[in-house]
Amino acid sequence: MSFSQPKEDKEIEEALVRKFQGGDLEAYDKIAEIYQKKIYGLSFNLTRNQMDAQDVTQEVLLTLFRKISMFQGKSAFSSWVYRITLNASYMKLRSKKKEPNVSIDELMPSYNGAGFQQEKIQDWSENTESLMFTNETRDVINKAVDLLPEKEKVVFLLRDVEGLSTEKTGEILELTVPAVKSRLHRARLFLRKKLSNYFEEFSSRKAEK
Amino acid sequence: MICCKECLDLLYDYLEGELDQETTKSLDEHFEDCPPCISFLNTYKSTTALCRETLNQVEIPEAIRDNLLKVIKEQKENN
Repeated sequence: MSFSQPKEDKEIEEALVRKFQGGDLEAYDKIAEIYQKKIYGLSFNLTRNQMDAQDVTQEVLLTLFRKISMFQGKSAFSSWVYRITLNASYMKLRSKKKEPNVSIDELMPSYNGAGFQQEKIQDWSENTESLMFTNETRDVINKAVDLLPEKEKVVFLLRDVEGLSTEKTGEILELTVPAVKSRLHRARLFLRKKLSNYFEEFSSRKAEK
Repeated sequence: MICCKECLDLLYDYLEGELDQETTKSLDEHFEDCPPCISFLNTYKSTTALCRETLNQVEIPEAIRDNLLKVIKEQKENN
């Protein structure tokens, strides 16, 4: 579902938006079909709740229907849709109490005085195949992403999961390119550390057997 | 030789191919001599791939898809 938009797709989409703005309801159906999976996926990954993701998707689809005249074409249509989706998802999250996020700084790499790595780093990258599709692995990954602070999480979801470019992610979130890069790098470091704990524990469990 | 910290700080741009030639070369050299950083690099790349694969598996449940279609239909009729 990675979503780096090819040029033709973008043109087809812009044509659909213009048709819908001109009153063509079939064009709206096509827009809804193109976007509902992306809207649902992003809001589900942010809220981790099917009902919330359904509410958000419904709200965004209705907003697109009612407010299409407000879309001026200053940014890409997809950026507009993502922004509305993020705002609706945040409204959902804010209405709920949430456990505080862990400090991301504690999970950054640690170095000695000369700037060399202090930890023993295991390379588990070759051993993920057999674990990849187990429920346990999926849970670990989902929980790790949930623990990311909001600022890093949203950059990670748009850039690495949705596959948007750094520039587009910046446009949607109104961040500079260096800010997007730095948040994404921190998110990846955090997730790497979390997954390392899991895979290293798994290989020591296996070794004990 | 640059140290691990400098190397890992530049990892993002290194993987994106956004570093100048000289800096890329100094990272390449560091990786050659530093197994922990190679492990770090490999697991950093795997992390992104694993997370992308897992989080992209979200599908809209059939019942929710039906509800959404109903809502869209109602909205169009009320228009």
